[in-house]
Amino acid sequence: MTVSAIEFSRLGPPKLRLYAMRCTSCEVLSPWWEYHHCYACGGSEMVEQELAGTGELTNYTVVYYPPRDFLGQEPYVVGHITMDEGVLMPAPVVGVAPEDIQVGTRVKATLRRMKLGHEGDIYYSQKFVVDSEPATT
Amino acid sequence: MRVGVLGIGKTPHKIQHEKSLRDLVVESGRAAMADAGVEPSDIQALYVGNVGSVGFNYENSTGLMSAHHLGVVPAGAVRVEAACGTGAWALHLGCVAILSGLYDTVMVLGAEKMNDLATVEATSIIAQAADSKEEYFSGLTFPSGVALTARKYMQTYGLTEEDLAHTSVKNHHYGARNPYAHLRFECTVEEVMRSAKVADPLKLYEVCPMTDASSALVLCREEILRDQADKPQVYVTATQMATGTWYAATDTLGDAYELLARPAQRAYDMAGITADDIDVAEIYNSFAIQEPLGIESLGFAPQGEGWKGAADGSTWIDGKVGVNLSGGLLCKGHPLGATGSTQAVDIVEQLRGTAPKDMQRPGASIGISACRGGPGAVGAVHVYQRLEG
Repeated sequence: MTVSAIEFSRLGPPKLRLYAMRCTSCEVLSPWWEYHHCYACGGSEMVEQELAGTGELTNYTVVYYPPRDFLGQEPYVVGHITMDEGVLMPAPVVGVAPEDIQVGTRVKATLRRMKLGHEGDIYYSQKFVVDSEPATT
Repeated sequence: MRVGVLGIGKTPHKIQHEKSLRDLVVESGRAAMADAGVEPSDIQALYVGNVGSVGFNYENSTGLMSAHHLGVVPAGAVRVEAACGTGAWALHLGCVAILSGLYDTVMVLGAEKMNDLATVEATSIIAQAADSKEEYFSGLTFPSGVALTARKYMQTYGLTEEDLAHTSVKNHHYGARNPYAHLRFECTVEEVMRSAKVADPLKLYEVCPMTDASSALVLCREEILRDQADKPQVYVTATQMATGTWYAATDTLGDAYELLARPAQRAYDMAGITADDIDVAEIYNSFAIQEPLGIESLGFAPQGEGWKGAADGSTWIDGKVGVNLSGGLLCKGHPLGATGSTQAVDIVEQLRGTAPKDMQRPGASIGISACRGGPGAVGAVHVYQRLEG
């Protein structure tokens, strides 16, 4: 999730967690914004589940025309990361040139500056970097 | 079901700095009423499709503004919004209103003026049609969300970017011949490949422009049109809507297929026809990849093969089915709220036999329009038929 620096200082690091929502009916994991409803089975009771922060890049795009909040960062990579727990996370992938990015790359979450808000406040969130460590089994 | 299409009207689709949103509304609305032979006082309800006037133009209540400036007073008027499916939803509501028996004559109008703002601001407003609060925190935009779908499609079916580029070549062939289109030039596969990157793998010629336009239809009870034998006998014979996922993260290729396949099957059943009966189709393609996806959902090709028609000619004017003979959104542009209504107007022109030269499919009598939005959240399918006697 994304929080501003102001919220970060007030609430502290615990708010910046990497988690998914797990459906108590079908156990399928969904992205963290699915706290009302399970898209897989229609269940309505969702609970948070922490993620280890590692996964595989399964799809990506390179954004050349960003929305206002991301101006100046272009071109940047937004990936679909299939986390090791199975849930798909959309997130920027940094530290690798757009032309070198490859589907199948192991990635891990890291805390980075995300964007500037409308009032100039800085927002932080998870971005992903190439994970050079072999996956733990 | 049959709903009579009494009149149609549309403005040019292009950047129109010299005109306001209300100018566009009045231009298309008056054209549709003149074509229908009705006065504003004959319109009993007005459905105005508009997505973003509150952001694009700093004005709201577009339905009421349209009613006032068209003189459609005191009939009821409302603004309709369903992302890129907005114009199609206005048409759906117009059809439902007639079918309910409550009204004899209604107007459906779509309008959007997107070029009052710089591209970066407009892009941000468009992004609000998806979950700009949550999912788009990752820096996604509409083009990049659909780019993820394009890459998934290429990966799944083993396609190259060149394979998909044929879709833009076909659209531009017809767009160059459409006097109402925004982008009027032809291009080759090589030129598509060389065009600027927008959201990898989507390139500039695979992305629609931001366009100012309006289009309108006057709809009536079946009997009203049937009693006017001198008028072209074109009817809407099916209207079906659907929803899908609002998120790119859960928009699998299966979801993208079902979004239009479900309402398409219901529409075919409603009209009592099959995909083989269709002569002409307007298929939503704000991004080129959405045309093959729509072709597959409508049953014109198996999944994974919808891109072939643009390459082998089977979706050109003399192919099995003429797809986007208007140039599609890639050339007409995508004036969000007007896109669905313009698709309808363009199909009605085809069935009337009044489409511009080199765009008219000879003898076209059954047409279909398919609109999607959100981009995985809204599916809309309408069937149109020319019925004699």
